[in-house]
Amino acid sequence: MVQLRPRASRTPASAEAMVDEGQPASEEAEHGLLLGQPSSGAAAEPLEDEDGEDELDDEAPEELTFASAQAEAREEERRVRETVRRDKTLLKEKRKRREELFIEQKKRKLLPDSLLEQLTAAPHTDIKKSPGKLKEVNLQKKNEECEKGSDSKKVKVQKVQSASQKSYLALRLKDQDLRDSRQQAAKAFIHNSLYGPGTNRTTVNKFLSLDNKRLPVKKAAAQFLNHAWGIQKKQNAKRFKRRWMFRKMKTNKSK
Amino acid sequence: MGEFKVHRVRFFNYVPPGIRCVAYNNQSNRLAVSRTDGTVEIYNLSANYFQEKFFPGHESRATEALCWAEGQRLFSAGLNGEILEYDLQALNVKYALDAFGGPIWSMTASPSGSQLLVSKRLLVGCEDGSVKLFQITPDNIQFERNFDRQKSSAVRKMIVDRQYMGVSKRKCIVWGVAFLSDGTIISVDSAGKVQFWDSATGTLVKSHLISNADVQSIAVADQEDSFVVGTAEGTIFHFQLVSVTSNSSEKQWVRTKPFQHHTHDVRAVAHSPTALISGGTDTHLVIRPLMEKVEVKNYDAALRKITFPHRCLISCSKKKQLLLFQFAHHLELWRLGSTVATGKNGDTLPLSKNADHLLHLKTKGPENIICSCISPCGSWIAYSTVSRVFLYRLNYERDNINLKRVSKMPAFLRSALQIMFSEDSKKLFVASNQGSLHIFQLLEGSFKHLHTFQPQSGTVEAMCLLAVSPDGNWLAASGTSAGVHVYNVKHLKLHCTVPAYNFPVTALAIAPITNNLVIAHSDQQVFEYSIPEKQYTEWSRNIQKQGFHHLWLQRDTPITHISFHPKRPMHILLHDAYMFCIIDKSLPLPNDKTLLYNPLPPTNESDVFRRRTAHAFKISKIYKPLLFMDLLDERTLVAVERPLDDIIAQLPPPIKKKKFGT
Repeated sequence: MVQLRPRASRTPASAEAMVDEGQPASEEAEHGLLLGQPSSGAAAEPLEDEDGEDELDDEAPEELTFASAQAEAREEERRVRETVRRDKTLLKEKRKRREELFIEQKKRKLLPDSLLEQLTAAPHTDIKKSPGKLKEVNLQKKNEECEKGSDSKKVKVQKVQSASQKSYLALRLKDQDLRDSRQQAAKAFIHNSLYGPGTNRTTVNKFLSLDNKRLPVKKAAAQFLNHAWGIQKKQNAKRFKRRWMFRKMKTNKSK
Repeated sequence: MGEFKVHRVRFFNYVPPGIRCVAYNNQSNRLAVSRTDGTVEIYNLSANYFQEKFFPGHESRATEALCWAEGQRLFSAGLNGEILEYDLQALNVKYALDAFGGPIWSMTASPSGSQLLVSKRLLVGCEDGSVKLFQITPDNIQFERNFDRQKSSAVRKMIVDRQYMGVSKRKCIVWGVAFLSDGTIISVDSAGKVQFWDSATGTLVKSHLISNADVQSIAVADQEDSFVVGTAEGTIFHFQLVSVTSNSSEKQWVRTKPFQHHTHDVRAVAHSPTALISGGTDTHLVIRPLMEKVEVKNYDAALRKITFPHRCLISCSKKKQLLLFQFAHHLELWRLGSTVATGKNGDTLPLSKNADHLLHLKTKGPENIICSCISPCGSWIAYSTVSRVFLYRLNYERDNINLKRVSKMPAFLRSALQIMFSEDSKKLFVASNQGSLHIFQLLEGSFKHLHTFQPQSGTVEAMCLLAVSPDGNWLAASGTSAGVHVYNVKHLKLHCTVPAYNFPVTALAIAPITNNLVIAHSDQQVFEYSIPEKQYTEWSRNIQKQGFHHLWLQRDTPITHISFHPKRPMHILLHDAYMFCIIDKSLPLPNDKTLLYNPLPPTNESDVFRRRTAHAFKISKIYKPLLFMDLLDERTLVAVERPLDDIIAQLPPPIKKKKFGT
C-alpha cells in the first residue's frame, strides 16, 4: 500500500485516523477487504520520494527500529514462499481433480438403470394421452414462455408404471420454477394492497402537475401531450403519404 | 479547448428499478440495497458512498428481505421461497437454499455476541405461518427448527410482516414490526399508525397516527434509542426516546423529525449510527446524516441522494457513430443523426437525418445483463449474464443490419464482469468474476482463445474495470481492493501494478500517444501513471502536491468515464453525472482560492484577465444529468442525458396529495 500524505480535505479526520508516515501498512490490507477510515485524500508518491518531503512535516520523523524492519522483511519473505507453495499445491489438486472428473463423467453419463428400464418399457400409447390432459396447462406455459422470448420447450411428461403400482410423472423442474402459483399469489397480494382498490393513488402526470397548477402563472400539465394517442392512425397516415407521393411522381414522369 | 459539435442524446430510456430492501452493516460501514428486479448493490459509505459491488438480478427473484449476518455475510430471501447467500469476493450467488415454506416474507439474523445464542442464527418468516430457524455455519446455512405460528419465545429481535389485525373498511396490513430488548413491540401498518405494544401483557401502550397513507417500513438503531419509519407518501419520520422532563429518568418515544426526500413510497429504511437511510419506489437512495450524531459539521454531513448508476451503461463505436445502450433484459443499438448545418457557439442545429434505432436485442432467459460492449469498428457486440457470455457479429449492408450469433463459446467462460474490445477490434478482453482475464482473438466469423491471466493465488478478486490502450499493447484491470494491474498484451505477461489506494477505482483509461494510465477514484482524486516508465507522471505529482480544488473534491457523483483527444495528448476529458470537464495539462493548476467553475469570459475582456483566471480544469455544466460523454472524432462530442423528469414519468403511481387550490 502506498503511504499517503495526510491532507486537509473534506474529512478532517482526527489525528488517530491519519495514516502513519513511517511504517508501511499492514499486508493484510492488500488481500482482505479494505475497511475503515478513509484517509484524507493525499499524495501518492513512490516511497523513495518521501525523504524529500519530510522537512515540510511538523512532526519529527518516526524512528524505525532495525528489529521491526527485519521482522517485516521476514514476513514478506514468508508470504512469498507461501504463495509459491500454494501455487504448487493448487496445480497438483487441479490435476487430481481432472482425473477424478473424467472417471466420474463416465459413470454419470447414464441415468440410474432402473428408471431407464421403466421409461423404455412404458407403453408408447400413454405418451399420446398424457399431453392431452395437460394440454391446457402446457399451452399456457408455452404462451408465457413465448412472451419471455425463450425457446418453447415441450414439457416432457411420461407416465411410468413402477412395480408398486403407483404412477409417477416426470416433469422438468425448470418449467415449474417461474410459475409457482404461490409466488404469484404473494405478488398479487402485495400489488393489491399497494395499488389495488381502496388505495389513494393518482397518476404520475397529476402528481407532477400539482405544482404547475399552483404557480402564479399557471402552466400546463407535466405530460400535456399524449404521444401514445392514435399511434396506428399516424402510422397509416405516414404509409399513405409515402404511397401517394410515389404515385404522384410516377404520373408526373409518365406525362 | 476547441470547438465541438455536440450530439445531445435523450433517447436512452433508462429507468432504474425501485428499491425494495436496504440493510446496513455497522462493522464495515456498508449498505446493501436490493431492487425490485433482484439486483443487489453494495455501497461503501465510507468511500464517498460509492457503489462498489453489485449482483445482477434475476426475473424469478422477488426479494423481500435482506440482512447481514455474522459480520460480513449477506443473505436475502424472497417470494420464491429461497434464501440466497451472496459471495462478496467472487461477486456471485454462493448458493440458494429453499426454505420449503412458500414465499418468505421476512428474515432477520441474531445479533452476534448475544449471550442467549451460542452460534449465529437466521430466522425466516414464511407464508405458511411458520418461522424457521437456520443455523449459520461457516460454509452455508442449515435448517434447525421450525416454530409454529404464534409460538415464538426467546427471540431477541424479530421482524415479521403480513398479519391481519383489526378490521375496518379494508383489512389493515401490518407492514413492519420491531421488537426491542425491553419488551416493547413497535408496529407500523397501512392505516398510517405507529403503535407501541407491551409484549408482557399483550396490550397497546401508545398509538401515533402519523400519516394518511401506509407506513411501510421501520428500522431501529442499534442503541435502541431511536428509530425511523417510512411512509407511502415519501416522508420518513424519526422517533427518539427522550426524557419526559429534563431531569427525570422516565423516557418516552417522541416523533421528532420529518424528512420529505421522496416522491413515491418509501419501502425500505435503515438506521446507521449517524444517518437515516431510505429508499423506495422512486429509485433514489437517500442518506441523511443526523446532525446531532455527526461530530464534525462539514460537507460530509450533507444529504446524499444517489440516483444515477455509478458505472457506465453505454458504449460507443466511434467510427460508425453507434451507441449501444444496456438495459436489464435487452440491448439497444442506435445510430446518431447527422446535420449539415453550421452555426456559432450555443446554437442548436437542425438534424438532417434523425437518429436511427437499429437493433433491439433481447436476452434469452430470466437473468439480467451484467455488462455489454460494442467494438470500435461497430461489427461486434458482446454481452454477459451470470451464466453465459454472448458474442454477435454485425453486418451492415446499405441501410440494413444483419446479426449473427457466434455459437460455441468456451466452457470456462461463464460470467464476465467487464468486456472490452481492442481499438482495432481484433481482440476481445473479458474479465471474469473468478479474477481471471481472458484474451480472445476475433476472426471473421469466430474467435480463438489466446491467453488467460490468472489471478495471484490466495486472492479471488473480481476485476471490475478494464482499459485498453489505443495502440493495443497494454491492458489495465482494476479489482475491488488491490491496485490496478497493467498487462503487456504483446508479450502476454504482467507489466506492473499501480500501488493500491484505499478508495475504489471508478474509471480507468489509457491515453493514446503517451500511454499514460488515468485513474479516477471515488473520493474524486485523479491519478496519472505512466505505463512505459512505471511511475506516476510529473503532472500527477504536481497536482497531488498541490491538492485538488475543494469544490472538485466536494462533488457528489463519481467520474464514470474518461476519454482522450487523439491529437492532443495534453487533454483529458472526464465527466460525472452533473458536469463534464476537460483537463488541460499545459495550463496552471487552480489552488483553493481561484474560481473553479469559470465559463469563458466575454471576448471583450482583456487577454491579461483571461490568462490570469485560466486554469487547467475547464468545466461545463450545460449538459446534465449526464450518463455518458465521449469524443467521437476531433470536432464532435456525444452527450447522453437522462432528465430526471423522464424517469419519474415512468414510475408507478404515487399517493394522491390533496393541495388547496387544485
